[in-house]
Amino acid sequence: MRPLPFLISILICWFVPQGLFPRASWDDGGRESTVAYSTEDHSTAPEEETSLRYTVSGHIEDASNGEELIGAAVIVEELGKGAVTNAYGFYSLSLTPGFYHLKFSYLGYELQSRAINLNGDLILNIELREDIKELEEVTISAEGPRTQIRKAEMSVNKLQIKTIKRIPTLLGEVDVIKAIQLLPGVQASSEGASGFSVRGGNPDQNLILLDEATVYNASHLMGFFSVFNNDAVKDVKLYKGDVPAEYGGRLSSLLDVRMKDGNLKQFSGSGGIGTLSSRLTLEGPILRDKTSFLVAGRRTYADLFLPFAKDKNVRKSDLYFYDMNLKLNHIFNEKNRLYASGYLGRDVFGSIFARMAFGNQTYSLRWNHVFSGRLFSNFTVLHSRYDYELGTAEGEANAFVWKSRMNDYSAKADLNYFITPEHTLKFGLISTFHDFSPGSARGLGDQSLFTEFKLPSSYSLENGAYLSAESSLGERWNFSYGLRFSSFHNMGPSTVYNYDGNYMAVDSTVYGRGEFYQYFGGLEPRIAVSLMLNEVSSMKASYSRTRQYIQLAQNSTAGTPLDVWFPSSPNVDPQIADQVAIGYFRNFWNDRLEASVEAYYKKINNAIDFRDHAMLLLNPHMEGELRIGEGRSGGLEFLVRKNSGRLTGWISYTWSRTERIVPEINNGDPYPAPYDKPHDLAIVLNYEVSKRIWISGNWVYSTGLPVTFPTGRFEYMGNIAPVYSSRNAYRMPDYHRLDLSVSLAGKEKPGRRWGWDLNLSAYNAYARKNAWAINFVQDENDPNVTYAEKTYLFSIVPALTFNFHF
Amino acid sequence: MSTYRNIPTILTLLAVSLWNCTERIEVKVDSTYTRLVVEGYVTTDIAAHWVKLSTTSDYFYNKPAPEVSGASITIDDGQQVFPLAESDTLPGKYYTAPDFHGIPGRIYTLNIRNVDVDGDGVTEEYTASSVLNPINPIDSIRLRYFNAFGATGYEVQVYAWDPPRRDWYSFKVRKNGVLLTDTLSEMIVQNDDFFNGNYTYGITSQFLSNDKPDEVVKVGDIITFEINGITEDYYKYVMEAQSQIFGQTPLFSGPPANIRTNLNNGAIGYFTAYSVNYSSTVATEDVVDGGMQK
Repeated sequence: MRPLPFLISILICWFVPQGLFPRASWDDGGRESTVAYSTEDHSTAPEEETSLRYTVSGHIEDASNGEELIGAAVIVEELGKGAVTNAYGFYSLSLTPGFYHLKFSYLGYELQSRAINLNGDLILNIELREDIKELEEVTISAEGPRTQIRKAEMSVNKLQIKTIKRIPTLLGEVDVIKAIQLLPGVQASSEGASGFSVRGGNPDQNLILLDEATVYNASHLMGFFSVFNNDAVKDVKLYKGDVPAEYGGRLSSLLDVRMKDGNLKQFSGSGGIGTLSSRLTLEGPILRDKTSFLVAGRRTYADLFLPFAKDKNVRKSDLYFYDMNLKLNHIFNEKNRLYASGYLGRDVFGSIFARMAFGNQTYSLRWNHVFSGRLFSNFTVLHSRYDYELGTAEGEANAFVWKSRMNDYSAKADLNYFITPEHTLKFGLISTFHDFSPGSARGLGDQSLFTEFKLPSSYSLENGAYLSAESSLGERWNFSYGLRFSSFHNMGPSTVYNYDGNYMAVDSTVYGRGEFYQYFGGLEPRIAVSLMLNEVSSMKASYSRTRQYIQLAQNSTAGTPLDVWFPSSPNVDPQIADQVAIGYFRNFWNDRLEASVEAYYKKINNAIDFRDHAMLLLNPHMEGELRIGEGRSGGLEFLVRKNSGRLTGWISYTWSRTERIVPEINNGDPYPAPYDKPHDLAIVLNYEVSKRIWISGNWVYSTGLPVTFPTGRFEYMGNIAPVYSSRNAYRMPDYHRLDLSVSLAGKEKPGRRWGWDLNLSAYNAYARKNAWAINFVQDENDPNVTYAEKTYLFSIVPALTFNFHF
Repeated sequence: MSTYRNIPTILTLLAVSLWNCTERIEVKVDSTYTRLVVEGYVTTDIAAHWVKLSTTSDYFYNKPAPEVSGASITIDDGQQVFPLAESDTLPGKYYTAPDFHGIPGRIYTLNIRNVDVDGDGVTEEYTASSVLNPINPIDSIRLRYFNAFGATGYEVQVYAWDPPRRDWYSFKVRKNGVLLTDTLSEMIVQNDDFFNGNYTYGITSQFLSNDKPDEVVKVGDIITFEINGITEDYYKYVMEAQSQIFGQTPLFSGPPANIRTNLNNGAIGYFTAYSVNYSSTVATEDVVDGGMQK
C-alpha cells in the first residue's frame, strides 16, 4: 500500500482544523444569553471590524414532525447575509456582538423572524410551519428564494417531495428518478427506465446515495420503477456537474437522496393502494422530541392474482418486488445526534423453469457531533450491497444456479467549520472497501451437466480526502472551491490476466491475500464562482474534475439487473472527466419565476466502451472486451420554474451533443454516444383547481436515440444478415409523450388528523407508439423480403391510486 | 442446449413480451458498396460439397441475392487440391466431386479466382481456411414432449460424453432424413466452457415445434440428431450472426455490429470445415403429443 495518500489525508484532517479551532470552546453561558423576540423596528448596525465573534447556531425543523429541513435559509437582515442549513438541518453564523434580526425561511413554509442580542454563543433552534395560505399568490420573503441566485453552486436541481408526488407517472408509482429525468440535462436511458444519463454520461457515472450509502442498481422490475419509496424520502438533490468536493467516484452526477428521520412529535402514518403496489409508512416518537422511528414498506401484488390463471405454469410463477425503509434517530443533546437507517429491496421473478431475484441493501449509521457552534461534524459507517441470482429447478440436466454480489464497506468523517457568514470550510475523509464477486455458477443436483464456474472476486480500497470552502467577497462575489484527493488500490487475492496487443489473454499474475498490487490516485479540483449582477440575477461559472475507479460492464442502453461492476486495475485506467460550465440565473415577477441558462462542456479521458459483440457476463477475460477512448459532450440547458401559487411547474429544454472516439470502434471515427439526444424538452405543470382538486400534466419531447441501421444485406444459410456502415449513424423516431393526472383530496376538517386523496393518472395519454427498439426482420412467408419493425412498450396506461395519511 | 448466459435473455424477453407490441414501419437507409459473399462447407460426410458465391445488396432489395458465376474455385487440404465446378442449374453454386470428404485434423483452404465483384474490370482473388475439428460419438438421444406457455413440441435430449479438450458444437435435427434446421437461425451452437469433460445427462439440444408444419411428429417418424465439431471462430461467427438476425432489445443487446468473416480481401460470409456424427430415435406412441394420441 502506498502510504502517501493516507499521509496527505491525515495531514489535511489534522493540520487544517487545529489552526482554525475557535478559542472559546462550548460554553454553557451561551445558552443563557438574552434572546429578545422583539419586533422593534431597527437598531444600531453592529460594528464591523471586530475580531470578537459569537456564534448563533442550531437546527431548523418542521414544526409538525420535527424533521430537519435541508437547505433552509437564515438571513441576517442587518448584514444582508446569511447561511443555509446543511444536510442535517444545522446552521451556524458567527457574528460580531450586537443586536440582529434573523429571518428563517424555507420554500412552502411560513417565514419566521427572531431578534437576538448576541453577547455570547447562542443556540437557536427554529421550527417552521408549513404555509397553509399557499394557494394564494403570496410573495415569499425577498431573501429566501434567492439562494439560488446568490450561491456559487450551479448545475444543481432540487425537487420538493410534494412536487414529485404530483407528477403523473407510469402506473401511478410516484418516483424520484422519473421526476429528475424531467430536468434539463437529464434523460431516461430508455423508455420507462430508471437508469438516467446526465449530460450525455452513462448511467453508471451517476453516484446515487441513499442516506450517504451507495445504491448500485436503483431499479425494480427491469428498470421500470425505482427503489425509492417516495413516502420515506425527505429530500432529493441532483448535482449535474459541479459535484461538491465531499463526493467523488463518479464522473457525471450525484443524486443525493435523504430519508425522513421519523416524526418526533406524534405517531403518524401514510400509505397508498395503487394499481401496481401498496405501501405503508409508520413513524413516530419513541421518546418525544428525542427519539423517533420510521418504517416504510412497499410491495407489488400482481402475483396475488396469478393463482387464478388458467395455465398451471402461470399459476406457479412469481413476479413481485418489495422495499423496506427503516430509520431510527436519537437526539442525545444539543451536541449529539445519532441516525441509523437501512434499506432493503428485492425483486423476484420466476416460473417453473427458471427464477431470478435481485436487490439492494444499504445501511448507514451516522453520528452528528457539534464540537462548538462553529464546528459541526458527522461520522458515518456505511454498508451497501447489491446481489442477484438466477437459476432453474433442480433435477434437469441443465439445472444450475448463478449468483453475483457486491459489497461496499465505508467509513467517513465530514466536518463543517463556520468561520464567519462569509467563510465556511468543509473537510473530511472517506474510505471504502469494495468486495465484488462478479459471478459464480454451478450445476444443481447429480443430474446436472454443469461444472462449477467462478469468476475471481475483486477487492479494492477507494479513499478520498477533501477540503473545500465557501466564501463571499463583498456584496457580489461568491466562491466555492475545493480540492479532493482520491486514491484507489487493488488488493489480493487476485488473478490478473495480461493481454497482448490483440486483447487476447496471454498469461496471468496471481497476487496473495492482502497484497496491494496497483495504485491510482490524483487530485480533483472543484471551483465555482458567482457574480450577483443585481438583486435578482447572477452569472456563474464552474470547473470540476472527477475520477471514476469502478464502472459497469454494460453495452446495452437500458441495462438489466445482471450488473457486473469492475474496478480499475493494471489493465484499466481510471476514467477522468473535466467539466466547465457557465450560467446566467435570473428571478422574475417578485421571485415567483426562477430562470436559468447554463452551457457546459465535458471531456472524458479513458472513456470505456466495449468491442463489437462483447461478452460481458461470466467472462473471465472481460477486461479484454474493453476499448478505451475519449468522450466529449457539450450543451445548453434552459430552465424556467414556478414554485409557488396555484400553477406550479417548470419548462426545461436542453440542446446537447455527446460523442466518443475510440480507435478500435467505428474505424476510429467519432460516433454519437449511446445517450446522445440533441433536443430534449420537458413541460411539467400542476394546477390547483381548489384546495381539494388538482390536475397535473407533463409533456416530453426528445430526439430519438442514435442507432445503427443496416445499409446492405447478404444471404447465409437461408437467412438474411445485415451489413452495417458506421455506428450510430441513424436515429430512432422522435420521442414524445403526454402524461396526465387528476387528484381529489378529502375534505379537511379542523381537529381531524387523517386525510386522503384519490389520484387518477394516464401515462402516454395520447397513446403514441414510441419506438423502444427497431428490428430488421425477414418475412416468414417470403424469405427474400426484409422489413423494419418497431417494438413499443406502452399504449395509454391508466392507473388509480388511493393515498391516505394520519 | 441452454447455457448460463442465455437464460436471463430468455427470461427477460418473456417478461417484456407480456406487454410489448410490434408494428411494421418505414425506415430509410443508405446504400453501401458491393461485397462478395461466400458460404461453403467441408464435412466428414462423403458427398458433393458445395460453395455458394453471391453478392451483398441494398437492405430492402427483396429479391434473391445476386449470384456470382464463372469463378474458378479450389479447396486445398494441404496434400491435394480439389477443383469445384459450377452447377448448370444453380448458378453461383460450385460443387466438388461426389466422393469428396474432409478428414479431421487437416486444414482446408478455399481459393476463389476469376471474379470481379467491384466491377473495375480487374479480377480479384479471395481465400479462407478452416481446420477440421474432430467430434465424439453420441450414446443416444430421446424425444420429450413439452407443453408450456401456449407452445407445444419436442425437446431432443442428448446423452454423450464431452471430451476433456475444448469443444465447439453445432446441433441440427432431421425428420425421416430431411434437415429441419436448415437455416442459420434454427441451428444451435454451443461451447463447452461450462461443462468441459462432463456427461450430458440428456441435455436438451434441439427443439421441434408443432407451430411449424414440417416439424410435427407422427408415430414412426425417425428423428435424427446431428452433432458437428466446429471451430471456435465459426462458433463465434454463428453467435454474432444470430445476435444480429434475432431481435435486439435495449435491455440486453449491445450496439449492432458487423459479423466476422474468415475471408480476406473484403469478402464476407464464411467457409468452414467440421466433423459430423448422428444419432437417431423412432417416435413412439408414448412420446407423440405426450402419449395423448392413440
